[in-house]
Amino acid sequence: MATSLDQENRPSAHDNDPTQTIVETRNLGKVYRDFWGRKKVQALKSLDLEVRRGEIFGLLGPNGSGKSTTIKLMLGLLFPTQGRVFVFGKEATDVSKNERIGYLPEESYLYKFLNAEETLDFYGRLFDIPADVRRQRIESLIKMVKLEHARRRQLKEYSKGMTRRIGLAQALINQPEFLVLDEPTTGLDPLGTRDMKDLILRLRDEGKTILMCSHQLADVQDVCDRVAILHQGELKELGRVDSLLKIQDLTEIHASGLTDEAKNQIREIIEKSGGKLDRMDNPTTTMEDLFLEIVKESEQRPGRRGGRGGN
Amino acid sequence: MRLNPDHFWTYSEWLFEKNALRDGAILSVTLALLGFVIGYIVSVLKYGPSEGFLRVSQIIGQLFTVDLPKLSFRRIYAMAKLAVKESIRKKILVLIGIFIVAMMFAGWYLDPDADSPARLYLVFVLTATNYLVILLGLFISCFSIPADIKNRTIYTITTKPVRPLELFLGRVLGFTAIGTLVLAIMGLLSYVFVVRGLDHSHELVSIDPTAKSGESTYNNRHRHTFTLNSEGRGTTNEVKGHRHIVTKVGDKVVIGSPIDDLTARIPIYAKGLEFTGRDGEKNEGYNVGYMSEYQKYIEGDSLSRAVWRFEGVRPNLFRDVILYDLTISAFRTYKGDIVTPVGGLIHFRSTDGKVKSEDELFKVKEFQVDRRSVRTKLKGFKQNEEGKDIATDLDFFNDIAANGSFEVVVRCQDRGQYLGMAAADIYLRPADLQFWWNFVKGYISIWLQMFIVICFGVMFSTFLSGPVAIIATVAALVLGFFGFFVDNLVTTTSKGGGPIESLIRLPTQMGSQIEMELGNETLQQVIATADRGILLAVSQLKNAVPNFSQLDTSNFVAYGYNLFGGLLARHLTIAFGYFVLTALVSYFFLKTREMAA
Repeated sequence: MATSLDQENRPSAHDNDPTQTIVETRNLGKVYRDFWGRKKVQALKSLDLEVRRGEIFGLLGPNGSGKSTTIKLMLGLLFPTQGRVFVFGKEATDVSKNERIGYLPEESYLYKFLNAEETLDFYGRLFDIPADVRRQRIESLIKMVKLEHARRRQLKEYSKGMTRRIGLAQALINQPEFLVLDEPTTGLDPLGTRDMKDLILRLRDEGKTILMCSHQLADVQDVCDRVAILHQGELKELGRVDSLLKIQDLTEIHASGLTDEAKNQIREIIEKSGGKLDRMDNPTTTMEDLFLEIVKESEQRPGRRGGRGGN
Repeated sequence: MRLNPDHFWTYSEWLFEKNALRDGAILSVTLALLGFVIGYIVSVLKYGPSEGFLRVSQIIGQLFTVDLPKLSFRRIYAMAKLAVKESIRKKILVLIGIFIVAMMFAGWYLDPDADSPARLYLVFVLTATNYLVILLGLFISCFSIPADIKNRTIYTITTKPVRPLELFLGRVLGFTAIGTLVLAIMGLLSYVFVVRGLDHSHELVSIDPTAKSGESTYNNRHRHTFTLNSEGRGTTNEVKGHRHIVTKVGDKVVIGSPIDDLTARIPIYAKGLEFTGRDGEKNEGYNVGYMSEYQKYIEGDSLSRAVWRFEGVRPNLFRDVILYDLTISAFRTYKGDIVTPVGGLIHFRSTDGKVKSEDELFKVKEFQVDRRSVRTKLKGFKQNEEGKDIATDLDFFNDIAANGSFEVVVRCQDRGQYLGMAAADIYLRPADLQFWWNFVKGYISIWLQMFIVICFGVMFSTFLSGPVAIIATVAALVLGFFGFFVDNLVTTTSKGGGPIESLIRLPTQMGSQIEMELGNETLQQVIATADRGILLAVSQLKNAVPNFSQLDTSNFVAYGYNLFGGLLARHLTIAFGYFVLTALVSYFFLKTREMAA
């Protein structure tokens, strides 16, 4: 099974200005040192990549592969030991670039003693947003992340999913052009995950550029236009998701209402043309689709148990 | 309480003549250069010489081109509000409860037999408030930024367009706001505690109808005697630092609430004090052998005298009586009649010496303020053309102090005894300041100390962890408290040498009185030079931290003196200087620190 790597990095159809680069890293490297300056670990090695306007860019990799380090370097939370990072054409350490960035950290590092409104108000002020605009945005964001019922509760009383949602809301308070989402679906239930993914796609359609890193490969596959795969601090793969995942020498046919006779005819055609039939049976759905369907049915007809599957 | 000459400096005198501005500028330039050099060395180690220089220059340049001009009040306010909320939700206000409990039990420990209960009460509340508020400032300021870094909430702050100075200013303002709230509440409680604690009244025990004098009941461990004038009004004698107004209403004698215990005297001090010796020649005053150089002495029953010169005393400050206080002490060369105090003579005279009042006898009240007065219409002497003194009636402001200048002459009456005095031992008391306002000024002093602690705490927390930041701040406070000791070490040749020499003397059991003998002249020179270098560095470091013992003005309030506006203005300037200093150091560290490291 071979995969193809799209080296051309073509922009996707919905890019509004695909030539514009939002983030650019040049030969970026980071070495963590101990107190005495001795090298502890090389977290990132010579990374070159670009995130272009209007795309959803995914950073993938196992733990310790350098994903978080890359994001922190882009945000100016860490300084590179080699190479440079530019965001909106400015050095990553330039504070003014933050005006146009929204950041959802891995674990919504927010002040637990504030409630939802206070949190958004606080971050709104940090962007120097005038009071009336701030009020409007807080209203619409709280509605968007569905926290109307908990707007006055302190964040320490929030569930993980709610914390994630308020974290996303604070990342959007400045209507950023560029969103950095660190593990956006962690801790969310399947419904929340789906909502988050829909929201990410909607934000992309509104013209925002999104960089996300995630362990949830399905999520990355569902939403990302392009991905970079890192391992041990090195870039291993970079390209469009659909191209990367396309298996060139396999053919998939989905058909319904076929009789057994018709199926046999298909088998014969494959044999006749020199192909090899690997598998032909009824497909299974994904667990996510099954779960979402059950929940949807249950909401429509409460109290009934679904009749799928055997014992 | 002793007033030092530096207490009387006016603000401009302190700033320009006493070189405060120059010293501040030297300190700022030294620290700026030191900061640049250290920053450059660190940067060179990290990035190499040229890149390192570029980076350090960039940081300094950005301060003036971007970071200062683009400061946003809204962001600073947001950070300050967050700091206040954080403190309140961390139950900082419990401190007020602790303070109330301390005051509830304070009554058990405050000595009811004290000579001056007012002073005791005031010292207690001011000291307790001072320590509690400084501790509060220390803890809230040192832990906040490190906690943000530990909880990584700093990620959501520094990824917003927040500038390093805003991070510092927000914290400092927020913590100062919460500290101010706590201090204001404590101040209010303290005021009520002091006023209520000192308030008491006496009943009449007996009165002699002919002499119109009487005695009060024994309350609060003391009793008073009093005399009434022909109109049936008078005051009691002074016991435990207070008096009562006594009025006769019909047949009934009413003893009122205590007065004079909570005062804020606005003293007019003399511009100079000169001495003449037993032979009538000018001298420096006699030294009776005390270690303290504060007071100088005049000899009894001789030509020896002390002359204070007053200037610019305006008549409109006084009506019929000029009130003045004496705090002269006595030194006995023989015991004599120990019950009878040493006596002195005092008179007022014009600056040319041609007009003078009659000598008035006084007895030295040791360790007390002798409250005295002189009438503006008084008897005295004027020199005629032949130089003879002619007895006549005088008007104080027309004859003696014609242009507001006059002299006060004190002699010691008893042969062989001495009277000791300093420039501040006599002062006129035109009118007292409202006590509550002086009390507020005392609390402003405490507030300034708290503010400086917060500035230092936040500064250290920008590059140290919470506990280490506390230790560093406390170290700075200690260095400040013992600033005079460091000064002594540097300016005087203290016995036993500097730190390295002492380190050699200790294990070799070499006494501090003898010269160090190592048998190697060069080595000794090297050690002496190194010691001087270390001491100079420590003394410079000492200048970079505030001298808290000087900033503490609680004694002014406790001893009932007006806290001079000039002194408070100086302290405000010092606090502002440290605020700027800590802000710049914090800027540098926040700018160069990796928040996610």
